[in-house]
Amino acid sequence: MVKPRHRRTAAIIGVGHTDWVGDWVRTRAGEKPADSVGYAARAFRNALHDAGIARDQIDGLIVGPTTPYERMGELLGLNVRWGGQADAVQSVTQACMAIEAGFAEVIVLVYGNNQRSGGTQYGGPNAMGGGAYLSYVYHAPWGLTSQGGLYALMMRRYQSERGFAERDLGEVAVAQRGWASLNPDAIMRKPITIEDYVASPYVCEPLRMLDYCLINDGGVALVIAEAGRARTLSQRPVFIEAIGRSDLNRNATSLAPRLLDLYLPAQQEAASASFEGAGIGPQDIDVVQIYDSFSVHVPLALEGYGYCALGEAGRLLREKGIGPGGQLPTNTAGGHLSESYMQGWSHQIEAVRQLRGECGPRQVPDCRFVHYSSDVAGKAMSIIYGR
Amino acid sequence: MGLYDGPFWRSVSERRLSLQCCRGCGAFRYPPGPICPECLSEDSDWQPVSGKGEILSWVVFHRHYLPAYKPPYNVIAVRLDEGPLFMSNLEGVAPEGDWIGRRVELVYATMPDGFVLPRFVLAN
Ligand SMILES: [Zn+2]
Repeated sequence: MVKPRHRRTAAIIGVGHTDWVGDWVRTRAGEKPADSVGYAARAFRNALHDAGIARDQIDGLIVGPTTPYERMGELLGLNVRWGGQADAVQSVTQACMAIEAGFAEVIVLVYGNNQRSGGTQYGGPNAMGGGAYLSYVYHAPWGLTSQGGLYALMMRRYQSERGFAERDLGEVAVAQRGWASLNPDAIMRKPITIEDYVASPYVCEPLRMLDYCLINDGGVALVIAEAGRARTLSQRPVFIEAIGRSDLNRNATSLAPRLLDLYLPAQQEAASASFEGAGIGPQDIDVVQIYDSFSVHVPLALEGYGYCALGEAGRLLREKGIGPGGQLPTNTAGGHLSESYMQGWSHQIEAVRQLRGECGPRQVPDCRFVHYSSDVAGKAMSIIYGR
Repeated sequence: MGLYDGPFWRSVSERRLSLQCCRGCGAFRYPPGPICPECLSEDSDWQPVSGKGEILSWVVFHRHYLPAYKPPYNVIAVRLDEGPLFMSNLEGVAPEGDWIGRRVELVYATMPDGFVLPRFVLAN
């Protein structure tokens, strides 16, 4: 098999986000501070300022799934020679591919989402794509319309297959809230305890309110440049060391990858591709960023991506710890549970900030490698970032 | 409903649950679709299934998302003896403790709007 050639071909030279906390307050008061393209545009301005480059240096544009490509480019005033639309982790991957292929040299990635003020439904008659998707015909008639329901089904299997305890899941929410309490950009900053977790109400049992991500408005943007350009444009480029991917599509609608495999084969394949590509292992990682629409992603990823043996995540969470002061700092900004639900995009900019050493009280000392992983719907992606 | 869904729901309304079955390799297919993911044959027919299986996972919703489903209500994942995984609800007596591995069998429930749904009860 041909090895991917993208190792250190590109680097992130600018990151930006919107005022998540301020917009949370405003949207809770019934205001609509911006629409999705508006949030993306604000994040873009901030990322451009952070990169310290002129707009005319940009020759590529990738927009997130929630904003139309052409309108986004029109608003940002960007004529480019390459473009696309993708989710967070695919955007980083596609930017590396475009740079490797010579289609563009400086690519901006923008994401904006008015999911709170716009009333996006993540459960109910219009959730999960509504009537356009098979899940509407083969899940919804039995009352299964939410992502939370799918992850609750997975959590039960996980408990049964690998002995993971319901109470240990609370360690994730507590640890990430601990990080968020050190992050002025986090929406939920009040520290919580395991007792608070156990007292929090079930939404879809066995998952509780504190296992669910926030739903908030906002945007994120990143500027990715070809490695040579990155070194001339930036004092502190953060390199994409390696990327791995593995997808489980077979029997996906009937949930076999989720319930029978717990995504494990995909996680393991993506992990080995990215760690081999970067020439390091899980023991070399200083900060782990895990896509956490639900807390249960975290222990599954810690086992699947090789941070502990199968069935050992509960002990890792309790004894080593993933929160402030723990041995495996994870979701150091607070993640989707406590910082901001930006569908994987916020994890990328936290990776960059930790590697630049600019995270203030939540900074992990001498951070050299950050690992981002996601396994949404059995599509496992793994990115290693380094300095 | 899509192009291939009619026979499934018709079999439910006739209380004779049938799944699409590949004529090339004999694999049951659920949800239905244009070709067999096992052997890529387009040739299929519809075969009644036993309605027996075991619970693979279960959850209890505590939130009100849908008019017909007042919380708390359960959703179960069943592995049918014929192979496919099937999302449904458990009616009647709920098991004590862990539901995973419990044997179940098919029943037909009539919803308030007259729609018939395949559901399950614990097997004797
Ligand atoms: Zn076949």
